[in-house]
Amino acid sequence: MADPASSNLGRMLTDEITPVVMVLRTPLVEEATRKNGLSFIELLNPFCAFNNIDVPVRTASDQPYRLQKFKLRLFYASDIAQPNIEVAKVRIKQVITRAGEKDFPEVSSNPLAIETVLGATQHKVLPSWFQVFNQELVHTVSFAEHEAFDHPVACLLAVSSKDEESISKFVDLFNTNQLPSLINDGAMDPKILKHFVVVHDNQDGMPDRATKVLTEMRNTFGANNCRLLCINSSRDGSVERQENPWASCKSDGSQFQQLGCFLSLDDVDELKNSMQDLSSKHIIPYMEQKIRVLNQQVSATRKGFRNQIKNLWWRKGKEDVPDNPNGPTYTFNSVEFQIRVLGDYAFMLRDYELALSNYRLLSTDYKLDKAWKHYAGVQEMMGLTYFMLDQSRKDAEYCMENAFSTYLKLGSSGHRNATRCGLWWVEILKARDQHKDAASVYFRISGEEPLHSAVMLEQASYCYLFSTPPLLRKYGFHLVLAGDLYKKCDQVKHAIRTYRGALSVFKGTTWNHIKDQVHFHIGKWYAFLGMSDVAIEHMLEILACGHQSKSTQELFLRDFFQVVQNTGKTFDVLKLQLPVINVNSVKVVFEDHRTYASETATSVKEGFWHSFEEDMIPLLSSMRSNWLESHGKNFTQKYKESNICVAGEVIRVHVELKNPLQIPISVSNVSLICEHSSGSDETNPDLNSSIDNDQLRKLAINGKIGAEASSFLSGEIDLRLGAGETVVAQLSVIANIEGTLEIVGVRWKLSGSVSGFCKFDSDILKKKFARGKRKSKKSSGNYLKFLVIKSLPKLEGFVHHLPETVYAGDMRRLSLELRNPSNTPLKNLKMKVSHPRFLNIGDQDVMEMEFPSCLEKKRSSAEVYVPVKTCKARTVFSFPEDMVICGDSTCLWPLYLRAAAPGNHSLYITIYYEVGDASSIMRYRVLRMHYNLEVLPSLDVSFQISSHPSRLQEFLGRMDVINRTSSESFQVHQLSSVGNEWEISLLQPMDTVFPADFLMAGQALSCFFKLKNCRKWVNAEDNPSSLVPSEKADIRLVCGNGEALFDTSRLPLVDFHHYERLHQGISDQDHQTTVDFILISQSQSDDKSGINIFSHHACDCSVGSSSPIWWLIEGPGTVTHNFAVDFCEIKLKMFIHNSSDVTASVHISTFDSAPTIDSLSTGASVSSANEAGWRDLSVLNDIKVTSDAVGNHSGKLLSPASVSPFIWSGSSSNRVTLEPLSSTEIALQICVFSPGTYDVSNYSLHWSLFGSGDEDDKETGLRLSSGTCEGHSYYLTVLQQG
Amino acid sequence: MIVCVAVVGHQNNPLYIQSFTEADDALKLHHIVHCSLDVVDERVNNPKKSGPTLNETFLGMLYPTENYKVYGYLTNTKVKFILVTTDLDVRDADVRNFFSRFHAAYVDAVSNPFHVPGKKITSRIFADRVKNIVKSFGSSSAG
Repeated sequence: MADPASSNLGRMLTDEITPVVMVLRTPLVEEATRKNGLSFIELLNPFCAFNNIDVPVRTASDQPYRLQKFKLRLFYASDIAQPNIEVAKVRIKQVITRAGEKDFPEVSSNPLAIETVLGATQHKVLPSWFQVFNQELVHTVSFAEHEAFDHPVACLLAVSSKDEESISKFVDLFNTNQLPSLINDGAMDPKILKHFVVVHDNQDGMPDRATKVLTEMRNTFGANNCRLLCINSSRDGSVERQENPWASCKSDGSQFQQLGCFLSLDDVDELKNSMQDLSSKHIIPYMEQKIRVLNQQVSATRKGFRNQIKNLWWRKGKEDVPDNPNGPTYTFNSVEFQIRVLGDYAFMLRDYELALSNYRLLSTDYKLDKAWKHYAGVQEMMGLTYFMLDQSRKDAEYCMENAFSTYLKLGSSGHRNATRCGLWWVEILKARDQHKDAASVYFRISGEEPLHSAVMLEQASYCYLFSTPPLLRKYGFHLVLAGDLYKKCDQVKHAIRTYRGALSVFKGTTWNHIKDQVHFHIGKWYAFLGMSDVAIEHMLEILACGHQSKSTQELFLRDFFQVVQNTGKTFDVLKLQLPVINVNSVKVVFEDHRTYASETATSVKEGFWHSFEEDMIPLLSSMRSNWLESHGKNFTQKYKESNICVAGEVIRVHVELKNPLQIPISVSNVSLICEHSSGSDETNPDLNSSIDNDQLRKLAINGKIGAEASSFLSGEIDLRLGAGETVVAQLSVIANIEGTLEIVGVRWKLSGSVSGFCKFDSDILKKKFARGKRKSKKSSGNYLKFLVIKSLPKLEGFVHHLPETVYAGDMRRLSLELRNPSNTPLKNLKMKVSHPRFLNIGDQDVMEMEFPSCLEKKRSSAEVYVPVKTCKARTVFSFPEDMVICGDSTCLWPLYLRAAAPGNHSLYITIYYEVGDASSIMRYRVLRMHYNLEVLPSLDVSFQISSHPSRLQEFLGRMDVINRTSSESFQVHQLSSVGNEWEISLLQPMDTVFPADFLMAGQALSCFFKLKNCRKWVNAEDNPSSLVPSEKADIRLVCGNGEALFDTSRLPLVDFHHYERLHQGISDQDHQTTVDFILISQSQSDDKSGINIFSHHACDCSVGSSSPIWWLIEGPGTVTHNFAVDFCEIKLKMFIHNSSDVTASVHISTFDSAPTIDSLSTGASVSSANEAGWRDLSVLNDIKVTSDAVGNHSGKLLSPASVSPFIWSGSSSNRVTLEPLSSTEIALQICVFSPGTYDVSNYSLHWSLFGSGDEDDKETGLRLSSGTCEGHSYYLTVLQQG
Repeated sequence: MIVCVAVVGHQNNPLYIQSFTEADDALKLHHIVHCSLDVVDERVNNPKKSGPTLNETFLGMLYPTENYKVYGYLTNTKVKFILVTTDLDVRDADVRNFFSRFHAAYVDAVSNPFHVPGKKITSRIFADRVKNIVKSFGSSSAG
């Protein structure tokens, strides 16, 4: 450590602990000095501090040393008293308030970064007024009676030369009733050094009278103690000085120039000399002398072994003295006080060793006397002396601690002393770089007075800052604590200052609770001071306080809006955090050649549309009609680089707004900030690339005013965001003039008072989109920048009556409305539907007809049936050329909807059209429509078909219908087979099967029907009327005859059936053995006005046989024969039908032996030899059960040991040739040798088809070219006659 | 009674801070926890390099405020645990026990694959577990 005297505390002590000179003067003296704007003391004060006085002094033990620095403190006698506490408090408050005004941070300056705070030197950061404040605090306890260093050492008596009877005035001045109470109370020695001065005002004339008075005085008071002081030698009062020595004594500095204006240089020199004389020739020798005297006295009474013993004994004897809270009073002539004076004088003359030894001596005495205040005072001085000696650090601290706690123990009376002691202690610690300890001492000093505590805490915080390593968080915390206390004492400016200091600590950390609180309070306090701008700036920081509790959020918001309202204007804020704008979520929807009919259509991926429209849209290269087109290349270049939008059409931007709070907020006037430039983009490509914040603000405000309102129109919307809600705002802008339009950002208004802006960072968006689709890499241009081209016609489309939810099978007619608001005609309209199974395009003439009655079969079928040409290959539908859509006329086009399958389905429709105007940049446009359809399950229809046991070409079928809905009921209306090959008839009338009208929810229905194949051979050239579906292809399932049947061969049904088959992966060929059904049901529609038609399609129901050849054996079931006569011959007939389209050759081979080996082994155990031919009942049962099984039981009756019970007679092999769709009959015969029941199934049919020569059928012909079928079971019972 | 526990990340960012008092003194506790980080830093940077305490995770009492005692714990990943208690005589063993259980809970919480390291711990299970540990503080050794 450096020299303690040069430390902060050292300077403080050499300033504070110096001899006091009591000044007594007559009013006329004061009057003379007042001319200079100064009191007498003020006049003298600048000359009382000596930096280089160089006075030789001897210590008590005659050690010579020289005193260099010295200072006198001058006080009027009236001021030498313990200051009034209340007055002192007021003064201290003034100091703080003034400092608050002065140190109040600049509004514009941001809080310093913590690094700069750390890097700065102590003096720069530490507010300078702390020292003033500390000094004031120390002064509140000056002139205490238990300390001697504030007791006057000398007395300066001043009388004016104008005073009458100067000598008696001098005597009067040193009158007891004017003297301070210290002297009168006997606390100090009234016999002090006196110095007499005659003050002469040169303006009053020559100093003749003064010199006369001086000689008179010298005679009376002694030659050395008297002096003449001439002032105001300058008559005109215009003395100019380089440095005014009085500048520092008047702090307000109001009449700075006038201070000392009548004092010439000679006067100043005289003042200086007289004061130096006073100190070096009078005061210092006097003190030296006094030290010697006192030291001798003390040595005589107290030093030495004998004295110590005596003292101890004597003090012990005083133990029974009752405890006085202030301790015993010591008068100036008590030994103790003399020691104290000795110590203090020694301290003042820098003889610290002597001082220390005396203090030590004294402290034990006081301790024994329990004079705690005196004891503490001595301890305090000991600490300081140790410090000045720079000896034992521990001792110094120990003494200070001791003194501090002793003072505190005294209660409120000692508190101020404790404060002073603490301040000194802190300085000791600071001088030794023990900042952390110093901070804790500051913390201890802070007492009841909140204002003082605030300053102490703030000083403590700086100690933390300066300690190594710096304890920044504690620094911040203590600043916050200090700020709170300042606020409590209405020192708002101080509070703001400390909080701002704290802010630099918390900035950049994630301790949001603390940060929010700091910002909030700073904001509130600024608002309190009426500085709304700064207040709002701070308040803005805390708006997005989602982590706070709900009540805190409410408080923050309420106060914020209160502040905003008080200003009475709206604020434009760049970084408004409420609501949170998710810039990454920005999605732009615009229409170039692609136009969208609805919002949902825009959300479909571009890739889907692209592939969907592939076969409709001409390639870009083919768009250019010829190479001479001048702007072609230029344009395509541009076209590729930026987005194109059409003037007058809406660009939509979806932005996600999020409310992080738990309380709802209202956001209004949300709109896009755009920049429009009508010129060509090429000249200044980079102009708009970087819009800084100021420009953004300007743009935003411009847009609001509407300076550019003509070039584009930005829509505004209002939102209300609930707690924690995220809303996607759909903003729109319409460019009206060709040029470039760039969407820069979004602006909004929070609660109608604060405007916020947010810039869309194009970099982020670009990155996002580059990731999204690879091919857009080449489009390096700004994603939010649009090339506006002149307006084009735009087709608008809408599908009417499309329900959102339907039951499966629901079939209805919809109308597609197309509209073109512009007058330019469109041509070459084409349409494509994504799911023809669900949506089918009708013909325009259907529009006039009524649905569904137009589907009904006409009763009077006089009209010629026109077969419907199904639109099988039609994926793209072209509208007729003569259709003109322009102006306000609308065009309705029928669409059929059939809810083919349950589930959620997306239906896409694209309409392609070309703009008639050839000069436009865009040749064609597409209109995209997207609808979602939810299909609920309704009826489950299933069919089971088996061949008729006794009729050729006939089948039995069962239909099961289950209503799967939860509430809907259906009326099953009609069952139709598709095509003209099958006839259906019910086995039982519908009344008996299902008497109710409606199939209720969950109900099931089964009905049996007979199916008859009525396929006939027709030539292609035949009359188409032969293709008229037979009347019997449909059966009415509803009771009563009132309603007409629907014609399943009409257009939508046929098409839907086609797509249904297509969907199930069934080709159109090969349906001779399968049958397709359509079940039509009805239900009341929701509005009860009409009926809904439901069609359920069951395709490819197998009729139970896979071969094209159907046959049947016919013969008697039971034959009675007398086997005694001969064996029995039975004639059988076989009917064979060729159901295929080609000629077939059938070969029937019979065999008497067992046809298969495995049937041999299975039948062995069943039959006995004696009863050959008879069957067990169980076997019969078995057969009955599996009556449809063909040919498996043929060998059952055969036992390996016996011969066959019957043999085939007649020809064993028959070969017939069958024309397509024709039947033939073959006679068969068997011989039976014994009675029994026989299964005549041991034959097989080999068939082969001849190719018809038709190329199409070749493949199927080959596949089905031949086959072998086992015989059907046919049971024959032969009984013995008689 | 434990009034506050906190987990502070290695960049001195709060990961989890929970007070267990009815009074609305969350802010104060935030400040106390924040301040105690200064002491943690000090301890860590000037360790008393004696053998057994070299790898000690328990930092002991960080600083006594007027009403609270603050204890600290430093994991190997430089994550700090802070405990603020109003108990005047706390046994070191209790605090050590508390911290080891707390550490286990913390490890389980951050082992969750859905936890983002360096982000706040939002797991409700962790919160419940901490609550239990806090509740049983001091009672385990007594019983």
